[in-house]
Amino acid sequence: MAGHAGARCGSTALLLAAALVGCAKRERVDPTAAPIADFNQRVDQYVKLRNHLADSLGKIDETKSQAEIAARSTALANAISAARASAKQGDIFTVEVAAVFATLIKEEFRRRADSIKETRVEQEQEHRTDGLPDFLPKVNQIYPTNYPLVTFPPTLLPLLPKLPESVEYRLMGHHLFLRDIEANLVVDVMPNAVP
Amino acid sequence: MNARSRALAGLLAVCFAAPVSAQTLTLPRKPGSVRFLVIGDTGTGDPLEYAVGKEISLYYKVFPFPFAIMLGDNIYGSERPQDFDNKFIKPYQPLLDAKVEFNATLGNHDDPNQRFYKPFNFGGNRYRTFKKGNVRFFVLDSNYLDPDQLKWLEKELSTSGSDWKIAYFHHPLYTTASRGPELEVRKVLEPLLLKYGVDVVFSGHEHVYERLKPQKGIYYFTAGGPAKLRDHDTHPVTLTDVTFDTDRSFMLVEIAGKDLYFQTISRTGTIVDKGVLHRLVHKPLPADTLKATKPVH
Repeated sequence: MAGHAGARCGSTALLLAAALVGCAKRERVDPTAAPIADFNQRVDQYVKLRNHLADSLGKIDETKSQAEIAARSTALANAISAARASAKQGDIFTVEVAAVFATLIKEEFRRRADSIKETRVEQEQEHRTDGLPDFLPKVNQIYPTNYPLVTFPPTLLPLLPKLPESVEYRLMGHHLFLRDIEANLVVDVMPNAVP
Repeated sequence: MNARSRALAGLLAVCFAAPVSAQTLTLPRKPGSVRFLVIGDTGTGDPLEYAVGKEISLYYKVFPFPFAIMLGDNIYGSERPQDFDNKFIKPYQPLLDAKVEFNATLGNHDDPNQRFYKPFNFGGNRYRTFKKGNVRFFVLDSNYLDPDQLKWLEKELSTSGSDWKIAYFHHPLYTTASRGPELEVRKVLEPLLLKYGVDVVFSGHEHVYERLKPQKGIYYFTAGGPAKLRDHDTHPVTLTDVTFDTDRSFMLVEIAGKDLYFQTISRTGTIVDKGVLHRLVHKPLPADTLKATKPVH
């Protein structure tokens, strides 16, 4: 009897343990995984579109002609803007992924030494010394070439989802935006992403 | 010395320093040496850029260098075709005519599409490496040091095999100029430079000339003053050996064996710095051991 009771107890304990492990496994699911997977998918959709448009313009090779480079950049920007005429802020930086990014960025900035924070301010304000005001980038806007491109914090880049090579993260003041490199085009914006 | 006195002293130094003829060269011109020009932050298109370009051309006659390195901010402001003419082609026309090869890096004022502009020799890449004689150059994009670039750099540094390793990129890791060093870039880049024994680093961004004391065994130069100038912007401390911030300047470099000879010349032809650096023997350090080191500035 005692043996049977012990075996039952043992089985119950095993079942309980298995259930607890199952719960623990469920609890370990990364809550950021789904928003980031969604973000990656949206970026991929964008890149598929822009690559198709870029292919239709022909491959860009090194050239002595800046006119050729500028013409291609403009043509690509126009083609993307036309194809994404209805695109709006938040199409890629959805509310869900923006919340994930905001937490990542905030934590990374909090960990920085004060000396690094000071030089960051210098970087971000460089355009002001040329009399250029801050601005909130807009979707489908050509990034103005008279504004410097602020160094993207290299310690933050590894924490953000990796982007395909045609797109990059950029900062303007406190705003994070995605920029199509060849088209020099703002793809999406996350306002006030950076402290 | 207050700022006004420093300004006056600087002005006097520029006015009364004996201008030298274009033939005054301190570089040895040894057979088989690697010779090059160093310029940064050049692309203004204003008369002072042209004046420096003219002085460089005069020096080219006595010190013909087959290539130049450009430290970023190659084209300021708009990047229309005429901007490339006015801010790059025309100021350096004699050098381009002489087939001098310009090797540019990207500054924060440069559109990354410059990598397709053949005269800058990016080869379509934002970062790259090239070799001249016994010198391997690592051209980095300090605007966007993503994990891919760092991984690439580590691979290239570890397989370089060259005697001299020279890295150049736009943002200075060490400087006494008022905007200060790029500490975020230093944090990710310096461990690799140390681990793989980079000998010399050239940067621009600050519109002055600085020769810094070796930092953890690496020689650093800031050479962002050939066109723009931040007048009296350096703050000489124990970090620097020589600074020049009262006029535009450019550098000529010659590497022969284990020696790197350099000469820095102002817009008016005054020699503002010169000397020879000996290649330091590097004992590669594991990157982890560098995390505890304190920034000097």
